[in-house]
Amino acid sequence: MVNELRELLRDNVASAPQDPVDLSVVLATGRRRVRRRRLSAVGGAALASAAVIGLATLVWPAPPDLGAAGVPTPDAPTLHLADAADAVAGEDYRVLASHTNDDLEADNGQYLDGVTDDGQILFRDGPRADLPQARYALMDPATSEKTWLPDPPAPGGEQLWPVDLGAERLVLTGLRFAEASDGADPFAGARLFALVLDRESQTWSRLEWPDLPDVDRPGTQALGPDGRLYVRVPATQGRPPEGGWPTGPDGEADDADAPGDTYDLWSVSLTDTADVRDEGLTLGSMAFTDTSMVWTDSTNGDAGDVHVRDLATGDTRSFDPQTGEKCNLLSFGATHERIVMGQYCGTYADGVRDDRVQVLSTDGDQVVTVQDDRIDGGLAGTDGVVTVTSYQRGRAGTYVYDLRTDRFLRLSDDVSQWSMGGPTPEGRVLWTVPEHRRGATQVLGEILD
Amino acid sequence: MRDEAAFVEFAQAASARLRRTAYLMCGDWDLASDHVQEGLIRVYVAWPRLTRSGGEYAYARRAVVSALIDHARRRSSTEVVSEVTVERSSEQDVAEDVSARAALMTALTALPPRQRACVVLRYFEDLSVAQVAEALGCSEGTVKSQTSRALASLRSVFDGSPLGGLVTEGASSW
Repeated sequence: MVNELRELLRDNVASAPQDPVDLSVVLATGRRRVRRRRLSAVGGAALASAAVIGLATLVWPAPPDLGAAGVPTPDAPTLHLADAADAVAGEDYRVLASHTNDDLEADNGQYLDGVTDDGQILFRDGPRADLPQARYALMDPATSEKTWLPDPPAPGGEQLWPVDLGAERLVLTGLRFAEASDGADPFAGARLFALVLDRESQTWSRLEWPDLPDVDRPGTQALGPDGRLYVRVPATQGRPPEGGWPTGPDGEADDADAPGDTYDLWSVSLTDTADVRDEGLTLGSMAFTDTSMVWTDSTNGDAGDVHVRDLATGDTRSFDPQTGEKCNLLSFGATHERIVMGQYCGTYADGVRDDRVQVLSTDGDQVVTVQDDRIDGGLAGTDGVVTVTSYQRGRAGTYVYDLRTDRFLRLSDDVSQWSMGGPTPEGRVLWTVPEHRRGATQVLGEILD
Repeated sequence: MRDEAAFVEFAQAASARLRRTAYLMCGDWDLASDHVQEGLIRVYVAWPRLTRSGGEYAYARRAVVSALIDHARRRSSTEVVSEVTVERSSEQDVAEDVSARAALMTALTALPPRQRACVVLRYFEDLSVAQVAEALGCSEGTVKSQTSRALASLRSVFDGSPLGGLVTEGASSW
């Protein structure tokens, strides 16, 4: 007797029991995963409290001439601030909500910390002298009505960063610091914890993973499409060259093209604190799209190559992002099929900076690079929209590059010294404008197609 | 915009075939449905890109196979492979039924996941060595060696048994 393999395999499935796959579940879950795209912005994007912006607005008699200063031109389609069109309210964008703090010099105030998938604003009050622990509410942008949430279990008044603002749960992370000796890095030896609010039961849970090594910076975690929290643990730190940084044309130390930092990638469960995994990958910055994980070799310096792993198949492709020769990677995000890298690429004659926000496809094609003096940006807590902040006199303000329509728009003509915001769903942007000299107004807008 | 109607049409057309492939790889119809569901969710997420570049079914098959292999990798060492559920025709003689088909399924589930995938993709999906390598994200050499080992294991179950020998149509290329 002879058995033929193909025939046996086909016979085995010839009478499959009726159990059609439930496509409604497929669609509902697929839609949820697509919405999670906004989480892909990683790295300092979700600033939970007002922080003074590092780049000061300088007096500049006229817009800087990058070409005359010797700033190299990127090998990519390039836009400058002057190419932006002034955004028109009602046509290009619509204001959904705003909130003003009159005096942030005196103490912390109230902040819009992000927007949930179902459109509610995460509103934070404090912490400040008369309110040691911040309290949170969900605010309906249409009515400004606030629903206050139970106090989060962060009795030490730890600062929290939103990681996932979903329709069913909110995930905030924070750092618990060991006793630091004088002069020590304040972030050294920090333990990561997460606060998870079940929106239906209105109950918080606090998670801390005993087996997870210390982390070094807040706000650098990313939620993967598999629901796990991906955490970067410090591995190596780029050091200045022997003898210090070279002197730039402006007479200052120029740390462009610095050696980058690397991290070991770990992941943790948001339901089981014993579930901690070393992912066995060393990287710089990282982010998730709907379908892939994207990372660089290093960060906060030379980025190295970009790697894109298809999460369905495990295939990984790598490419040189063709950043400039002197570029340091400062911000990193990915969404849809686009990768966004914020960079500082050196200082040239008369102190003109080469700052860039580079947009690539996940295949490594150059989409556009916004280049100018004294700008920064990236996928700052939004999805489908790249934000660019300019500190140039005469051209200061918040700009957006809409990845969906390739429009470059100027939303505001001034920029606050306070940086605030958080994750927002696709097409929505939070920006901040100064209010007199001591305050700031946060604006939540929707970019219209 | 995400073309959901086109996706639903694709999913309805592809799910039965994907489920059969998944069943051969795991030996459990319910588990096969779960993996096909997960694979289709991944296809939904990638749909705009797939419709531009084509290869929707190949991507779906890869996603299902990947989900199956991931599941097998994560399964705890204490978890035991469930007994194979063989569908029996009421007309069929039981003695004959428990024979070659059931033996093959039992032998398949005893194979390491990648070897099992090689056999199913080569001999059920009729993919070439190169296509199997692409589906599994490995080299053609790995596919050949894994398939060779798998076939040797399967043949050893049949050889010397009352079931008779196991052959594959056409000459082996390894």
